[in-house]
Amino acid sequence: MKTIKNLFAAARLKQEFANRRNKLYRLAYSWCHNTSLADDLVQETMFKAMKKADSLRDQATLDTWLYRILLNNWHDHLRVQGRNVELYDVGDESQPEHADSYQQSQIVGRVRSSVERLPMSLREVVTLADFAGFSYAEIAEIVDIPIGTVMSRLHRARQNLKQQLLDLAGEGKLPVKLMRVK
Amino acid sequence: MNDKTYTDEKLNLFIDEELDTDENDEIRHSILEDASLRERVCQLKAVRELVGYAYETVPEPEFEGGVRNTAARHYIWKGIAASLLLAIGMFTGWVVNDTARSTQIASAADVFQYYKYSESADREERKIILHVTTGDIYAVKGALDEAEQLLASYREAGTPMKLDIVTYKKGINMLRLGVSPYIDRIEGIVENNHNVSLYACQRSIHKAEEKEGKQLVMMKKAVTDKSAQELISERLQKGWIYIKV
Repeated sequence: MKTIKNLFAAARLKQEFANRRNKLYRLAYSWCHNTSLADDLVQETMFKAMKKADSLRDQATLDTWLYRILLNNWHDHLRVQGRNVELYDVGDESQPEHADSYQQSQIVGRVRSSVERLPMSLREVVTLADFAGFSYAEIAEIVDIPIGTVMSRLHRARQNLKQQLLDLAGEGKLPVKLMRVK
Repeated sequence: MNDKTYTDEKLNLFIDEELDTDENDEIRHSILEDASLRERVCQLKAVRELVGYAYETVPEPEFEGGVRNTAARHYIWKGIAASLLLAIGMFTGWVVNDTARSTQIASAADVFQYYKYSESADREERKIILHVTTGDIYAVKGALDEAEQLLASYREAGTPMKLDIVTYKKGINMLRLGVSPYIDRIEGIVENNHNVSLYACQRSIHKAEEKEGKQLVMMKKAVTDKSAQELISERLQKGWIYIKV
């Protein structure tokens, strides 16, 4: 009976992993703005999640656990990027892809460019909050910083974005659904 | 209430629902009475919504021929499922097997030492994946040092072992003719050890070929018909030990 219960639990966790893959990819993309790199970061996250599954003691923390692995992979990438002496340079994989045909919306393009101009520490926090929807406490755990630092980084990020996007944020150019104030 | 009473930090807490009920109600009430405050909240919330909106849909990564490699996904999910089963087993006191050990081990030296001193050590064949994910010249040298160390240790102990060197991303450059300075050394390792196999991730090769606009020339002994994800997931499910370089 225990075996059957474990099988069900494994199947459920597997589904929860699968449900999160797309959002992990989009968050990784919001940090690096490169599809290939974002995909690699998520693949790495899955490799590590696979190997470290035994360290996940509480399924309620699955989100913060997975996103923390993703963030660590991203930081590892940034660290290694400036340090390696490559056998052969296959080209800069971190070039922004804002000019590609996929970019349909002018608003989306402007916001992404603005996010990309943020310092990395602010970019990570603001996307974890505003795109991924994590609470301040969860972000503090993922990024491994105090909640006060989360608040100040988020404040600086939004101030910065507000300055860059003032015309969008204040002059009624947003899609109607974005203008609602709770 | 004057809208200057509230800092933007406080308003961020409000729109993010991080305030307690009393403070939340107080600001909500003030917003109804103060147009200026209402506008500030509206702007902050608009910024927040814009960021969420900007990444709701992002370009998909391109795979071979522009088609997502569902086979690789299938394998990796099977691998994940196996690991999850294992993890749950560990929670509930199941017997830990070789696959579990693979999640704990970090280096070639650790791997060998673990088995050397393990009470359960026997003469069964050990199967090890060496996953090379970087083209960093020193890391590649380190990978080859690790491989030779492993081979020597097991040979000395008289324990049969199989070693698969799986290269991924820029790690494939280790097996490229005309690029890698270690071709002779790698060929020597493979010729002197029938139990060593070389793999270059098919997907990484395709990506590199797209970027460089030419076909990559790999060592003849390098197998290139599968992605690293497929190769590794298959082996993890079968209890191989995993070492990442």
